[in-house]
Amino acid sequence: MPEEYVKFDLTDMKNFEYDMKRCVRCKGCKWVDHIYMPGATYSTRCPSEKRYLFDSFSAWGRLRLALSLLNGRIEFNDRFVEAIYKCQLCGACDAGCKRNLDLEIGSALESLRIKCVADGFGPMPEHKAIAEKIEKEHNVFGGPADNRDKWAKGIQTDDKAEFVYFVGCYGSYKMQGIPKATANILKATGQSFKIMGSDEYCCGYPLYSTGQIEKAKKAAQHNIDTIAKSGAKTVITACAECYKTLKVDYPKMFNKSTSDMGYQVIHLVEFVADQMEKGTIKFKNNIDMRVTYHDACNLARMSEPWVYWEGKRKLYGITEPTAPRRKGTHGVYHQPRNILKAIPGIDYVDMIRIRENAWCCGAGGGVAEAFPEFAQWSAEERLEEVDEVGAAALITACPRCKDNFSKAINASGDNIKVMDIAEMINEAIK
Amino acid sequence: MTIPQAAYKVLEAIVGPDYISQDPIDCEAHTPGPNGFETDLGVATILKSPGCVIFPSTTEEVQKIVKTCNRYKVPFIPISTQWWSGRGAAKVEDALMIDLKRMDQCDIDDKHMFAVVGSGLIYSQLQEEAMKRGLYTTIPGGGSQVGVVANHILYGSSPLNYRTCIANRRILGVEWVLPDGEILRLGSCALDKDDYLWGEGIGPDLRGMIRGFSPGWMGSMGIVTKMSVKLVPFQPDKPMPVGISPDTAVELPLKRINWYNFILPSKDALVKAMYEIANAEIGAGLTKVPLFWRAIAKANNKEEFWELWDQESEETVAAMNVLRVLLIGFTSEKQLEYEERVLQDIIVKDLGGKQTRTKPTDESWVKNADSASMWMMCGGYTSLEFDFEAISHAVAKGVDCSKLKKGYTPPLMKAYGDQGWFQVGDYGHLALFEFLTYQDPDDEQKHKVDEWSVALSKMNIENRYYTAQLASHKPLFLTGPAYGPDYHKWMIRFKEEFDPDALSNPPGPADTDLFIQEAEWMQKVKDWPAPKIEANKNPKFE
Repeated sequence: MPEEYVKFDLTDMKNFEYDMKRCVRCKGCKWVDHIYMPGATYSTRCPSEKRYLFDSFSAWGRLRLALSLLNGRIEFNDRFVEAIYKCQLCGACDAGCKRNLDLEIGSALESLRIKCVADGFGPMPEHKAIAEKIEKEHNVFGGPADNRDKWAKGIQTDDKAEFVYFVGCYGSYKMQGIPKATANILKATGQSFKIMGSDEYCCGYPLYSTGQIEKAKKAAQHNIDTIAKSGAKTVITACAECYKTLKVDYPKMFNKSTSDMGYQVIHLVEFVADQMEKGTIKFKNNIDMRVTYHDACNLARMSEPWVYWEGKRKLYGITEPTAPRRKGTHGVYHQPRNILKAIPGIDYVDMIRIRENAWCCGAGGGVAEAFPEFAQWSAEERLEEVDEVGAAALITACPRCKDNFSKAINASGDNIKVMDIAEMINEAIK
Repeated sequence: MTIPQAAYKVLEAIVGPDYISQDPIDCEAHTPGPNGFETDLGVATILKSPGCVIFPSTTEEVQKIVKTCNRYKVPFIPISTQWWSGRGAAKVEDALMIDLKRMDQCDIDDKHMFAVVGSGLIYSQLQEEAMKRGLYTTIPGGGSQVGVVANHILYGSSPLNYRTCIANRRILGVEWVLPDGEILRLGSCALDKDDYLWGEGIGPDLRGMIRGFSPGWMGSMGIVTKMSVKLVPFQPDKPMPVGISPDTAVELPLKRINWYNFILPSKDALVKAMYEIANAEIGAGLTKVPLFWRAIAKANNKEEFWELWDQESEETVAAMNVLRVLLIGFTSEKQLEYEERVLQDIIVKDLGGKQTRTKPTDESWVKNADSASMWMMCGGYTSLEFDFEAISHAVAKGVDCSKLKKGYTPPLMKAYGDQGWFQVGDYGHLALFEFLTYQDPDDEQKHKVDEWSVALSKMNIENRYYTAQLASHKPLFLTGPAYGPDYHKWMIRFKEEFDPDALSNPPGPADTDLFIQEAEWMQKVKDWPAPKIEANKNPKFE
């Protein structure tokens, strides 16, 4: 009778060998949930497989490659590394697979990246360059660490507050309108908050997602310690990447569960939706616009809490104790939509692929840095969907998504407006 | 391993450098297994990585590719979704895998109710496009993720075949690149290549040839690049999707579509109910459901499934005669009301059946079919017995399959005497019986599953049962002489005529024979004469 001891420890790919072996190539990782299948177009969910066609650029192919690597059938080479990194790690495959099966696709792919780096073949040179910037100045742009809270000049924060606002690199250095809007919203509801200033390091997403786990752990440990020192129990952020990294990846890196971290992470949209229920936020301004919402992968299907597990896998793959499975069911899906629908004047329309079936903006997993043409191609496919539903503006809750969509729009000359949801809420409450 | 470089250059010129690769990484990724349909069985031991992968986008490209393969003697394997992984994989070294996913055309003629589809289009795509137009197709047991073309060639069985017949009888016009690269057009497009209206053409109807002997050629008789398939009028209220993964379903317009579950007092009563419902000419689907499917539906994961299933016994399974009926008011709401009354009269009043609760939604058969979830319970699954015969045949065969299975359990999943499932086809004239095989692919006794497959063949021959899977899972040289008239000889003669160099997915249709010949553990059960099978040649026989 087969029996093995396994853990949700991503530094050893062997822990996910079962998942690699049990892939049945049903392509649930590729197609939109068949129940929601919209027809002959917009029918797939994986940018990598659609763009590059070869199975090496699909979840099922990568699982086969990972297994073959474990079995010694193949070794890392340039094509293999390219196939590994031309993937946004958007989690579409993982949620799609778990519609029917109980396989840990996302973790297996992350584990493959970690091994790729550990064996000296990854990450891509562009990822190493960003790692150097993070090491030196603690942000992805390499801007002076001391400039991190420049956006907050004139904004009053409260050192005793229970909320710590984790701004993220994009908000701090590139899209300062987002943190300013976020601060306004918090203030409008009477919620006091503090910021970490230059003690806020890059959350580590660009490191962790590219397999640089040791470097990611350093950044994570610093942030975890700073949060603990601050005495805050709640970390609020307006960045989907930071949200998922603090909530899911930090515990994952240290073989812990989200509930063990000593803080809770909330996204701005969760906070605002809660305030709407309490009646402490009012949307006063009419915004006459047809808008749609893009589910950022890290806030949506990938955002469920991480539960560390170790135990036995027995006959038929039965786990003991029962392994927890994150299926993407409880992502932050409804809150942003409810917010947008509540703003007077807004004509809200959903895109064709939404929630767990959403098409990634294209930026994640290190793709925007190493393969900008692929990132732009993915964004263009999503923008076609925006056109298809006739929306004038695309709203997202992730600065990285906004950045990538904006670049694609600049390149194509399209007239779709892209806004972060914090900016939209701020417009509505002014 | 790779294909001749001169051939590669020609192929690259046909599709362009972005659509071809002989990189070992790409070839390894295109190698099915270790799991998937059939690849958790012994037949996986004969699978090879392809030497090259190519993605054509037009029939003209496919034709040029096949002609190039003939010129350089490169074996080729066409795939659309590669769902049937065991057959959609090379069995010879240095083969070219022709992946047809780019050919996903879907043109629907609303007025004449047919769709012209490319090889890369899948069922859920077609179903949605059809339903937007008030039409429908039947989602097969293979799942909504399978290729429409491949599945129509295969057979395309679904509970909704109760009214529509199985899919392979709904093939209309066909565009077919033969193994030598010539294009053969069937039906009305034989006369006008753009006219896909009709299945009948000049001369003999060659659709039988495309299907081979019941389950199709599995890519060993060239490549169908385009096909028109019949669509059927639906009712006007489109079922709408609800829920978040994994709990998604279509919400049924209950005045027009509804599922009904009944427990009948005995198996005889269940069979009688099927005949009576068909006799009354009501219903859109009738299935006898295995009890463990109920456990699958209730469980959130395999651990919960086993907790539920392990509470069962031979007695509880034998007592649970579940009949699931789908009614659709195709013409009106009144049709559904009428059929519901007739159904109640037959099952509850006349046969003492009891109606149980059903959800007002559909997870499988209307838009989706969850075939992938079949792997959830044990990690391994294959459909090794599938028939199109009478209801009485399905019942008798279920009993015999169940008895035989006991000798192979474990490694087969403990089934407490479950006798398989069947669906009624063609208004009661057919039963589509299936006996499913579940096992843990890591079980140390896994070779017994291969023996079980052959034992099923022998049982069928001995008890004179028909089976639809003669030339796929079954050894050609065991079943051919028994089922006759010598169908194996016909298959091989056809293959020799159209593909003398055995380039189209060799050694089809004798893959299973090759596996049995090669596998040491199968020698103890191989007691029938067969010629030596060579992977790259057509089989020879006396």
